[in-house]
Amino acid sequence: MNLLAMDYLLPGAAGAAQDTDAAAAAIRAHLRCEPEPPVRLRRRFFDSFEWSLYRAGAALEEVVTDQHRELLWQDLSNYGAILARQATAAEPGLIDDLPPGPVQERVAPLLGVRRLLPMAVLSGSRQTLRVLNDDDKTVARIWLEEMRVEADGGRSSVPLPARLRLAGVRGYTHETETAAHRLKTVLGLEPAHAPLYLEAFAAAGRRPGGYSSKLDYRLDPAQPAEAATRTILLDLLSTLEANIDGTRRNLDPEFLHDLRVATRRTRSALSQIKGVLPQAVVDDFKARFAWLQQVTGPVRDLDVYLLDFPQLKAELPPSLRDDLDPLRDWLAAHYDAEQQALARALEGERFKTLLRDWRAFLEAPERNGATDAQTPIKAVADKRIRRMVKRVREEGRAITDASPPEDLHELRKSCKKLRYLMEFFQSLYPADDIKGLIKQTKVLLDNLGRFQDLAVQAEHLRETAAAMQREGAAPLDTLLAMGALVSRMLEGQQRARREFARIFAGFDSADNIAGFERLLAAKKRRAAPAEAGA
Amino acid sequence: MNIIGVYSIKGGVGKTATTVNLAYLAAEAGHRTLVWDLDPQGAASYFFRIKPRVKGGGRGLLRGKRSPDDAIKGTDFEGLDLLPADFSYRNMDILLEGAKKKPGEQLRRLLKPFVKEYDLVLFDCPPSISLMSENIFRAADALLVPLIPSTLSARTLAQLLDFLKTEDGFGALRVLPFFSMVDAERALHTETIERLSAEHPEILPAVIPLAPEVERMGLHRMPLPAYAPSNAAAGAYRALWDELATAL
Repeated sequence: MNLLAMDYLLPGAAGAAQDTDAAAAAIRAHLRCEPEPPVRLRRRFFDSFEWSLYRAGAALEEVVTDQHRELLWQDLSNYGAILARQATAAEPGLIDDLPPGPVQERVAPLLGVRRLLPMAVLSGSRQTLRVLNDDDKTVARIWLEEMRVEADGGRSSVPLPARLRLAGVRGYTHETETAAHRLKTVLGLEPAHAPLYLEAFAAAGRRPGGYSSKLDYRLDPAQPAEAATRTILLDLLSTLEANIDGTRRNLDPEFLHDLRVATRRTRSALSQIKGVLPQAVVDDFKARFAWLQQVTGPVRDLDVYLLDFPQLKAELPPSLRDDLDPLRDWLAAHYDAEQQALARALEGERFKTLLRDWRAFLEAPERNGATDAQTPIKAVADKRIRRMVKRVREEGRAITDASPPEDLHELRKSCKKLRYLMEFFQSLYPADDIKGLIKQTKVLLDNLGRFQDLAVQAEHLRETAAAMQREGAAPLDTLLAMGALVSRMLEGQQRARREFARIFAGFDSADNIAGFERLLAAKKRRAAPAEAGA
Repeated sequence: MNIIGVYSIKGGVGKTATTVNLAYLAAEAGHRTLVWDLDPQGAASYFFRIKPRVKGGGRGLLRGKRSPDDAIKGTDFEGLDLLPADFSYRNMDILLEGAKKKPGEQLRRLLKPFVKEYDLVLFDCPPSISLMSENIFRAADALLVPLIPSTLSARTLAQLLDFLKTEDGFGALRVLPFFSMVDAERALHTETIERLSAEHPEILPAVIPLAPEVERMGLHRMPLPAYAPSNAAAGAYRALWDELATAL
């Protein structure tokens, strides 16, 4: 069903109403066609917040007219060729909201648990001309469309150049080619170089795939530390801001997750890139971002529970699984209140002032208030990473079988700081070397994270059980099932504890530590080509 | 991919109208649909304004000289294609007989490459019980059997069910009869429907009326729900499609 389709741009200015009417008249004078009544048309392009479909080279488009509503699955690497289509009556959202069918089948593996969001909305009108043969059989279709990218947030709507699409009908290639030839000679059409999808985003001044929470800075080793630090913090602020609206409207749990990660990284940068920004400023914002981390916590906890619920359930013996359902109902019932509280906080003056003050500070002229503000960033990075490696090793080596959980928690915090430092400063080091070290650090972090998270979850579950009982929302069977879950969690935590020594030994191995030594001594190796080039 | 044979031993029971209308409704619901017009008379092809001609004929397809892919034509409706009839199909039994291996499974073999391309294939079958029919039975997941409510129809249904029971390998084939060309004014029709429905619980509840608008499909040369969507008979086909979709 992958039909030959060709897109052309009609000559003339974007949005000029006579474009398509004049074109239709000219076409009918030269091709045997049957016009269909013009229709109002809305096109919406959907993707997940992280552009999973676009990253896979595909586009999901919903086309709505008075008569029908359908989903199209397009191949962006082949000029937006339609690979599958399916009728729908439902608002796209989670994968289960889509009716089963060829498009849904293709979206499912890419979307996972994410939600489909409208990334661009186009509206306008379409005239269809059916090209007929002597039997009055349709052998090709010509669509003439005038579309606008609808207003979005602060942006006003943008008209797109009128498009003509010639779509072939299977088995009538020759007729389609003849029609294409006539169209070109009669109308002097130019082929459209980009699929409508890309044109729409370009016109709206947006970039598909534009969002990524991955850290990717290109820092210059010789750059003064303060300027480099501002670059990092400004980028984190942009990521944070990009996730506010989605978090407030609760479009997908990932918005909140990314907002929290950006907050945590900001706090970590503030406290770990020492001696670069004025200390009074650092202390002030550290406290204010700590507040943000705290008000966003409860919804995230519930998100994690609800997302993990099927897995939690599966961990219990089959006979106990259904007993857990009142827990899910209870969590879901409390969710709305927490989400509303979060939305209020994000709309409130305290948060707005925080963002405003923070951006004003980061964008203000440098003030050289701190000792290392003018030190090259590479020197600061080396020092900070070296110190944090040392701290992780010391704290890790001090842990014995008798150590209290708090010690492991402290180690986890140090380890996370090390990871963030390496990620912030990645571009200052040879890529292969630092990637391997980050990976090894993540292995240790995973182990410590499992230990800590399971303890927190078990504690949280205990508190939830108590709260449910107070509210009379917990039948005995549910409490027993929750008890079984707590015990599974604590077992998992003990397993993580038992594995710690082995995993830490991996981090603390001669090889890994030598890797850090080489990394931090790599200055000369990197500087050499730059000197040669100067 | 689901394959449905619209089949009856008897002729003139509304097979082609059923095939064409159900195919249209399936495509409208978003199923990528292919009609294979197996009847040399080519009525389904005619309804879609497509010439009943396949280059190389039935022999070309069966001998692998031509791929069905080259013969498939798009209809006027998106998501609905047709593999046209060819006059050579009148000799299909002889051609099938000549197949070196498994003459009863040739249609199934020819459809294999299309498993991913179509969600639904509908055969418009010629009236007979022959090697061609055996091919249809082996390829299809279900047979949709139009019944005119008469004693004779009841007999042919019984014949078909007997045949499927005694021959090997048709155990999984579902038979979904439904009443077609029903004249609600005739007592014989209403009585027969009542009696047969009691005897054969597998008969689908949808009842297709004998309606002038259905006969006019030949003038419009398009599916009934496409030109008369609110006609009662179009509604009956819609009900039949819903029941078929549920049964699948």
